[in-house]
Amino acid sequence: MIKTLWELMQGEKCLVQGFNQELDENYRVRLMELGFHPGEQVTCVQVPRLGAPKLYRVNNTIYSLDDNVATLVDIRVSE
Amino acid sequence: MSEALIIGTPNSGKSLLFNRLTGLHQKVANFPGITVDISSGPMLANPGLELVDFPGVYSLHSISEEERIAVRAFKKSLADEQLDYVICILDASRLEKGLHFAMQVLRECQVHGKPMLIAANMIDILTKHDMQLDTHGLARALGVPVLPISAKTGLGLHELAQAMDKNQVSQHQHVPVDFKGISDVDLRQMAHKLAEDCGPKGDLLIRSQARLDAFFLHTWTGGAAFFLIMYLLFQSIFTWAAPAMDAVEALLAWLAALILPLIAAGGIRDFVKDALFGGIGAFLVFVPQIFVLTLVVGILEDTGYLARAAVICHQPLRIFGLTGKSFIPMLSGVACAIPGIYAARTVDSPYKRWLTYFAIPLMPCSARLPVYTLIIAAFIPAREALGGLVGLQGLAMFMVYFFGMMCGLLVTSIVSRFGPHSQQDMPFVLEMPPYRLPSWKPLLRNCWNRSRHFVTKAGSIIFTVTMVVWFLGYFPNGGTDLGNSWLGWLGKIIEPVFQPLGLDWKYGVALLTSFLAREVFVGTLGTLYGIEGADNDMVPLVEQIQASGITLASGVALLILFAIALQCVSTLAILQKETNSLKLPVQMFIAYAVFAYCAAWIGYRICLFF
Repeated sequence: MIKTLWELMQGEKCLVQGFNQELDENYRVRLMELGFHPGEQVTCVQVPRLGAPKLYRVNNTIYSLDDNVATLVDIRVSE
Repeated sequence: MSEALIIGTPNSGKSLLFNRLTGLHQKVANFPGITVDISSGPMLANPGLELVDFPGVYSLHSISEEERIAVRAFKKSLADEQLDYVICILDASRLEKGLHFAMQVLRECQVHGKPMLIAANMIDILTKHDMQLDTHGLARALGVPVLPISAKTGLGLHELAQAMDKNQVSQHQHVPVDFKGISDVDLRQMAHKLAEDCGPKGDLLIRSQARLDAFFLHTWTGGAAFFLIMYLLFQSIFTWAAPAMDAVEALLAWLAALILPLIAAGGIRDFVKDALFGGIGAFLVFVPQIFVLTLVVGILEDTGYLARAAVICHQPLRIFGLTGKSFIPMLSGVACAIPGIYAARTVDSPYKRWLTYFAIPLMPCSARLPVYTLIIAAFIPAREALGGLVGLQGLAMFMVYFFGMMCGLLVTSIVSRFGPHSQQDMPFVLEMPPYRLPSWKPLLRNCWNRSRHFVTKAGSIIFTVTMVVWFLGYFPNGGTDLGNSWLGWLGKIIEPVFQPLGLDWKYGVALLTSFLAREVFVGTLGTLYGIEGADNDMVPLVEQIQASGITLASGVALLILFAIALQCVSTLAILQKETNSLKLPVQMFIAYAVFAYCAAWIGYRICLFF
């Protein structure tokens, strides 16, 4: 089932499917340059409380994304 | 003179390498995007070679104006005949990201016919975890020399310096792939494959980082650590810097005692005493505070904690239009707006940095403290409240501090909702740098440079304004009667402005002189009431103010005026330097003056009802 990156729970892995049309073209390119490109595996490594930005691991780097961005990244949860 | 250019992604160790190779003192920190200017300097081992350090960019596909400027400058440099070659630095512990960027750079170098070499940094971390990087495999695949280095420990730098020869770099270029026609999407796939083939295997680094993140970003442990660290930061500003500030003050007093007797009594002596030692000295005492704050914020950056603090603060500050990265500049502003404005450089979004500038001057800085103390002592009775739990004066002090902070957040909230949106915003995507021990030498050098920048850059503006205020206060009666000086006359001219707040011309004059430094208000008022040394012992002045018939409502109006108004020449000067424009400081000065006056008038009228 397609979900958004923001819905990914701590410890869950996913494959990036694509990006919501609302995401600015520049930011889409930047996210892909950082490693969030379609087909790439992303792991949610930490979900701080109170709506704080979540931490995601791509390759060997950890990024923090807030809901404004993470809700615009489409993913498929992997087992 | 020949030239070599150093380029890399943010936080790849580029500036540290530049410092190592040139001996210059570029700021280095473990926080993405810390290089904001293009620096250059001759290489120590080869003074005929000029090294140019470019700002860190994630990609040659720029998305912000700052990145666009950097990328444009990079491409322009490639076309320069003086440029011999390009050194692309990448973080070997996070290879894929660096490789993708290196390939983009290589593509541009091939277009312009410039040779390139790659410095694979942080090799010490890989060695420590028994990991390998196949530099020969990378060199074969990319067709450029790849040298393993550690800019932090110096490992491999001798070999890098030897390889940094135009002929040698050129000889080692071969073209296994013509990158010129390859799209960014294909480059990304190539980088992914190459990182898998040649990069370190395993995720030891990430696991140790994740363990620390689990502690520092946990709701309870992270929250407790955050408050403890911020408390230490606050303490450093107020307590640790205090002895050094006292020392500067003592040094200035000693110099004054040494020099003043050598000058004959008269205008020149008064000028040296009041304008130079008094006026300029008032801003020099802030230098230790800037040094200490830069050091503590630098340690937080270097260790990687600053990025975590930004994550913790992001959600609450977003309500007010700010970002988590605005927190440290605002907290620094509680000590003094100047280091706060400097610290705002760490906010990567130009729009959010612009909003942060609005909040910083409203943070209750230490210069406001003597003014608040005087006014509260004069108007608020020293009684206990809430059944003896709190003192009324302490409560008033807390409220005025809280009021200032809330005003700052209110302003950013309003400006973000209704103000212009001309600056570019960036989404909150923050790379979490690995936890590292600070690099002390560059850190201390940066503190020194920042303090020097404050003295040299802001000093000229502060000096000019100090001269003008001194001149107006000294003439035409030779400084014998401030009330009848040009400044005094000016105070009487603007008296109608302060009458609606129940204040007379004395307060107008004190407000004018407090433009030099807010605490000057106390000394000026003391002079006008004929009390010597009011800034050291406030009691006689408090008694005079109480006896003068000024009401509590006027006291509240004064507190509100000081909490909001931006009457600080040093803050305005630094704002002008950091934004490279007079527009923002002038607009803020006027807007905050109007806001302060209206709020003070409302406060005054409300108090009259009680």
